[in-house]
Amino acid sequence: MDERREALEAGSRWKRWLVAGPPTAFLLAFFLVPAIIVVVASFREPGEFGGLVPLAAGAAAFSAEAYRFVLGDIVYAEIFAASFAVAAVTTVACVALAYPLAWLIARSPRRRRDLLVLLVILPFASNFLVRIYAWIMLLGPANLLYTPFAVIAGMVYVHLPFMVLPLYTNLEKHDPALLEAAQDLGAGAWTRFWRVTFPLSLPGIWSGSALVFIPVLGMFAVPELLGGTGDVLIGNLIKEQFLDNRDWPLGSALSIGLTLAVLALAGLAAALSRRGLKGTGAVS
Amino acid sequence: MRRLLATLACALAGAAAAEDVLHLYNWNNYVSEETLARFEAACRCRVKQDYYSDNEEMLAKLEAGAEGYDLLVPTGNAVESLIRRGALRPVDKPLLANLGNLKPEYRDPWYDPGGKYSVPYATSITLIGYNREKLRELGLPTDTWALIFEPRYLERIKGKVTVLNSQRELLGAAMRYLGHSVQERDPARWAEAKAVILRAKPYWAAFSNSTYIKDLAIGNIWVAHGYSNDMFRAREDAKAAKRPFTIGFTTPKEGAVLAVDGFVLHKSGRRPDLAHRFIDFMLEGRNAADVSNLIGAGNPNAAAMPFVRPEIAAEPAIFPPAADLERLEMLRDFDPALRRTLSRLWTEIKVR
Amino acid sequence: MRRRAQWLLWGASLAVYAFLYVPLAVVVIFSFNDSLLNAEWVGFTLSWYRKLLADEEMLAAAGNSLAIAMLSSALATVLGAMAGIAMQRWRLPWLPLLVLTPVAMPEILLGVSLLLFFRQVLDLTLGFFSILAAHVTFSIGFVAVIVRARLAGMDEGLFEAARDLGATPWMTFRRVTFPLILPALVAGFLMSFTLSIDDFVITFFVAGVGVSTLPLQIYSMIKVAVTPEVNAVSTLLMALTLTMVLAATRLAPDILRRGR
Repeated sequence: MDERREALEAGSRWKRWLVAGPPTAFLLAFFLVPAIIVVVASFREPGEFGGLVPLAAGAAAFSAEAYRFVLGDIVYAEIFAASFAVAAVTTVACVALAYPLAWLIARSPRRRRDLLVLLVILPFASNFLVRIYAWIMLLGPANLLYTPFAVIAGMVYVHLPFMVLPLYTNLEKHDPALLEAAQDLGAGAWTRFWRVTFPLSLPGIWSGSALVFIPVLGMFAVPELLGGTGDVLIGNLIKEQFLDNRDWPLGSALSIGLTLAVLALAGLAAALSRRGLKGTGAVS
Repeated sequence: MRRLLATLACALAGAAAAEDVLHLYNWNNYVSEETLARFEAACRCRVKQDYYSDNEEMLAKLEAGAEGYDLLVPTGNAVESLIRRGALRPVDKPLLANLGNLKPEYRDPWYDPGGKYSVPYATSITLIGYNREKLRELGLPTDTWALIFEPRYLERIKGKVTVLNSQRELLGAAMRYLGHSVQERDPARWAEAKAVILRAKPYWAAFSNSTYIKDLAIGNIWVAHGYSNDMFRAREDAKAAKRPFTIGFTTPKEGAVLAVDGFVLHKSGRRPDLAHRFIDFMLEGRNAADVSNLIGAGNPNAAAMPFVRPEIAAEPAIFPPAADLERLEMLRDFDPALRRTLSRLWTEIKVR
Repeated sequence: MRRRAQWLLWGASLAVYAFLYVPLAVVVIFSFNDSLLNAEWVGFTLSWYRKLLADEEMLAAAGNSLAIAMLSSALATVLGAMAGIAMQRWRLPWLPLLVLTPVAMPEILLGVSLLLFFRQVLDLTLGFFSILAAHVTFSIGFVAVIVRARLAGMDEGLFEAARDLGATPWMTFRRVTFPLILPALVAGFLMSFTLSIDDFVITFFVAGVGVSTLPLQIYSMIKVAVTPEVNAVSTLLMALTLTMVLAATRLAPDILRRGR
């Protein structure tokens, strides 16, 4: 029996590499290595015509000037803060708008549920630029174009389905007996919602929030097309460095900043949703 | 599987037909469709255009490895930069029979001595376009940069002004407004320009390189900092849509940036022969006139003048009179150190 | 649930559905507007669709979009399936991290890193292949998640039984694993296809010039030549992705229920 298991183990090791190898190789080449390049690029000077001093120049061309520039002025921290603020407002708005929908879907009979979910996903099937363009058409005549409101509206519109789906998946699993018990104990509708449903739905809210907050942090198309002169976010800044200003080290340094912010948030979201699940053993 | 083969077949067929295609990387709306169609019929080839709305954007894309363009249409300072990089093929003058049509003052430009690499095509002035009726109603001046930089004027048009999303152009306008040259080297003066811009920024609706054309024509925006030919287009569009207002554009009295855009041949282009035919075609008087009549650009071609519509030839913002020429400057690229300083200045302007 | 609360819930939900659909309806309706500036409704016309179908640049971009979507989805499905199987079968701590991080990162970071990689390291001219590689990179994670979820719901006993009956690993895959994950593969393929056709941000960074895709065309049209032609191409694109999504949900209804 042991011999057989040993043979299986040995066999399965090269099998492991055969199956896991190709995707690993591809992602190492096209995801990990590029990520390292960004770090390297942030420590260089811009080239004479833009871009970078060639990487082959080696250690001699090391320069932390881009970081000195970013860290030396409070205004870059302010842009990061503004991006966080926009992401936070968007997330809260998405929760508010998604909740009734998610609840309705979760409480509907099986057949209708699939239809309702489909109706949520369908707008998502349109191209995201089309969705922004729709708002350009609506806000232009209303004189609301190029305002912070336009930016938030656009962000919420593009990301709402990402909040509905995890939230409804979570709400679907709630045990109706809990609410009945609360009602029997004399709790009113609002109390039942706030003390029972909402806490149980927190893991869903955290998942949805991660799916909204993180992409919004990096967006540039929405502020660029819908925003005004004061609505520059970190994504716009990064895009400008690469495609307009040709200052690649500065763009790379800003990208590293954004990456660190995202990693911190992802870690936070993971920790929170794990804690949420532990604290509410009532979720099936 | 079948579909895959079909797609590959199409790609291959496309590659074969690519032989007779001229790749043109151009400003938006800089060659009219009619002119292109006439050329395509004359040479029995196809023209494929890609667009940019700013020299910086074009140079950034070339830096990022864009290849295969036969012709570019950069402004003077960008031509100089491309020559310095060794990115251009010299023009083969014997192939251009109509080269003599150019006005004498354009034949030996500072950015391309002897006209070895470029053939001027159109000129434009970066100025202010405005909704005539609205500004008359508000009692605002239309011939000064103060219109977009002074809070006392901007108050009345808050949220109805756009400016160009171009480092050199916007900083240049601020410099002219302050009475300095756009080629100023003193960093303190550039800091002044930055201050003027930041003071006015809260009143501006957006930075825009091209959406202002439509916004002006519809009436969403009343004042726009932009290119003279784009303002011409906005005027024509508003007229065609029977809007209840007209679009005017004026060169500000403090001075402005003049751009001379010309055809250059990129080294990576595969059909220099077609490129030369196209340039020669565009040098013919009748075709050269199109750029003025249909696009509203100034014209460096003497043979084109008889064909240019009189009302356009008389428009001072398109064909500036001699007096104006003194106040017009052309942009020149700076050395890397100053460029870096300005680029960081521009980033600050965007974020504050 | 009490009557009033019920009405409130329905009311709020309908309001949100309206929020989702009204802007898109406006885009579709105004694609038939007989006005260049498209500021207000003038009259009905199909001319924008006619213009669209004669627009060579648009057709070229559409062709590129379809070709890239087909090829990248095929490759992503194969690589993603392998990743999904590996994640389910074996304990490889780095694999989920490597596969799922591209999905979690903001797209701009992927776009920027690939731009730097292609230009500085590979000195590759940006074009068809750079876009293709980029699309595969972000799609692998989606396929892997779908395939892993499908495998997780399956009985381990099936594989053991096949082994006990003397099947080689390849036979087990061909006769047992593959048919069982086939719906997940199809759903993954359709998902990657939709993502590829729709992608804007990453494509924007790695497309260079010369090769355009539909989203890039739409973007330059929004910025420059905003005629109702934009509405027309948007409407057609919506119809295409709608068909894809409907097909995906028909073939793999689980993905709706899993939520992600």
